[in-house]
Amino acid sequence: MLLDPIFSDAIIFASLLALLSIGLTLTYLTTRVPNFAHASFATIGVYIALITSQIWNASPYFAIPISFVISGLVAVSLYLFILKPLIRKGASYAIQMIATLAFDLIVIALLNISADYIIRTYQVLSREFTLRSYDEQFLGLPLLVFVAPITIAILAISLHVIMKKTKFGIAMRASTANSDLAETVGINVKLVYCVSWLLGGGIAGIAGALMSLWFLGDPNLGPQLIPSVFAASIVGGFFSIYGAIAGGILVGLTEVLGTRFLAGEFGAWLIAYRPLVPLIFIVVTLFLAPKGIAGINWSKLRKIWH
Amino acid sequence: MALEPEVIFLVDLLAIFAIYVIVNLSLNMEFGYTGIPNFGKVLAVGAGAFVAASIPGRIFANIAGIEGDYITENLVIVSQINLWLVDNVGIGFAVFFLTLGVAGIVGGGLGLVTSYPAIRLRGDYLAITLLAFGESIRIIGNNFTPLVGGTLGVQVPDPLSFLPNELRFPIATIGLVSIAAAVYLYSEKMMRSPLGRMMKAIRDNEIVAASLGKDTAKIRIKVIIVSAGLAAIGGALYAFYVGGTIAFAYDRASWTFWPFLMILIGGLANNKGVLVGTLIFVVLRKVIIYFKDSFEGYVPFDVVWLDFLLLGGILLAVLLYRPQGIFPQKPTHTVSNGIAWYRKWF
Repeated sequence: MLLDPIFSDAIIFASLLALLSIGLTLTYLTTRVPNFAHASFATIGVYIALITSQIWNASPYFAIPISFVISGLVAVSLYLFILKPLIRKGASYAIQMIATLAFDLIVIALLNISADYIIRTYQVLSREFTLRSYDEQFLGLPLLVFVAPITIAILAISLHVIMKKTKFGIAMRASTANSDLAETVGINVKLVYCVSWLLGGGIAGIAGALMSLWFLGDPNLGPQLIPSVFAASIVGGFFSIYGAIAGGILVGLTEVLGTRFLAGEFGAWLIAYRPLVPLIFIVVTLFLAPKGIAGINWSKLRKIWH
Repeated sequence: MALEPEVIFLVDLLAIFAIYVIVNLSLNMEFGYTGIPNFGKVLAVGAGAFVAASIPGRIFANIAGIEGDYITENLVIVSQINLWLVDNVGIGFAVFFLTLGVAGIVGGGLGLVTSYPAIRLRGDYLAITLLAFGESIRIIGNNFTPLVGGTLGVQVPDPLSFLPNELRFPIATIGLVSIAAAVYLYSEKMMRSPLGRMMKAIRDNEIVAASLGKDTAKIRIKVIIVSAGLAAIGGALYAFYVGGTIAFAYDRASWTFWPFLMILIGGLANNKGVLVGTLIFVVLRKVIIYFKDSFEGYVPFDVVWLDFLLLGGILLAVLLYRPQGIFPQKPTHTVSNGIAWYRKWF
């Protein structure tokens, strides 16, 4: 072993939070609704990885493209059939948030039903399962330790190119900055939003497929993860994809390494309070720097420093 | 004489209904009438339950002179207390009402804490902050054992232990329903008062309300404190009713999301809607669990997931096709108008 397993844990968790946070930010940019169902899109990916590896006997890495498509389509259906009509009727953000919660309930129920079905039909463990043994080894470490950060890098570069260089990216930036104005110049804003939701949900699906190789899979993973995902996005400023990556890495590393460090200093009882970390991040960020990392004026800070 | 299963079913249904009515009325006060998206309702409810789990038992143990560590020897101590309470009904009730009072005060105090973000933040940021506040209570309760025994939970002493077994639950239910009725009347009266009209003004247009000289921040703080106090009393009553508290039962689904669902189905800013929404929810869940065994075998999954599907679906349908709920908000008659109406007809 080259590394203490806690570092693998930290790298993987931080990368997954960054991936989920990128997706959440992409959807938040369009509809300005914090989507409670977002982490459950990742749980869909976890179950697709379970089916790929245990029932089809393929490598769980094959689940990545399938999860991208299915989670993406589920996300688009949330936007098209629920949020879009609600927005047209002038529902408040609170009602839209509750609608995403209701959608999350339905997704969780369907995931639980699938889990029951998988265990009864195929006799495959479908709750609290792990697919760690299906991962390859590379340099004495699980392959995922390398794949997860590389996925983020690929996504960040391609999203950067899409946003800055392609016609779609320009349309997307115009639609999120001022949707009325974008419509008047002939941009199909609804279509742009649909594509954003497809990408956002799809990236969550990728995160889920990767997640299955490290964490215990369970239908109720979403509600457990969502505070950390919200924290990462809020720390990142909620409007910036680069902020989302930074926020995900910061919150993820603090959750794993920070609690481990503090537990070493003050005693092992502290480990159990790890779920408080994202909540503290949320509250502190919203009070001190509500625009998050992306909103901090770095040049001004540098002036104060000198 | 043992109770018929149908009677037990009804009695339990009414008790849960009464407890949820208290919590939902308090949420309606905040969200329906004042427009504060309290996604951390579970904070106050949990606090009330934690007060009921940690305070009365220790007081009884002290008065009765029962020795031992309250958390580690909880089962033994609480069963001794329940035996002792059979002969000390008066003290039992005194401590019970004292606990409700303390729960209300602790809830109100936490309300004051939640009002700090609630007057500074708006919109989804406020909702997420309150969600974070609400989440924290379960994590602390789960890990800080002296409070409610951590993951094992604790028993709550039963002030009604002097009653024979077949009377205990019906009497408790009658008590719960009367407390819920009192909260209902209080809430109705509040909404017909000048304060109630001001709350709606703040919800509909805060700037206009402020320009008319209303101190909107103060009203928001007031509403949050009262509503949190009521929710905490609801939580304490729930702990007494089920006879125990375990931290993981105070999650955001049970005490934040279900209350939102109930008041939205019934109709926001309408207390009658709260009653109907709560009744639909409680009956639907109970019926699914009651008939669970007869479904089994027809479907290849556990039937409890049907209630998630049904309730999520019903809520989405209501939001999309009848956003005002079953009972839409109506113009309320002021109290004096009510008196005039009463004089005219009686």
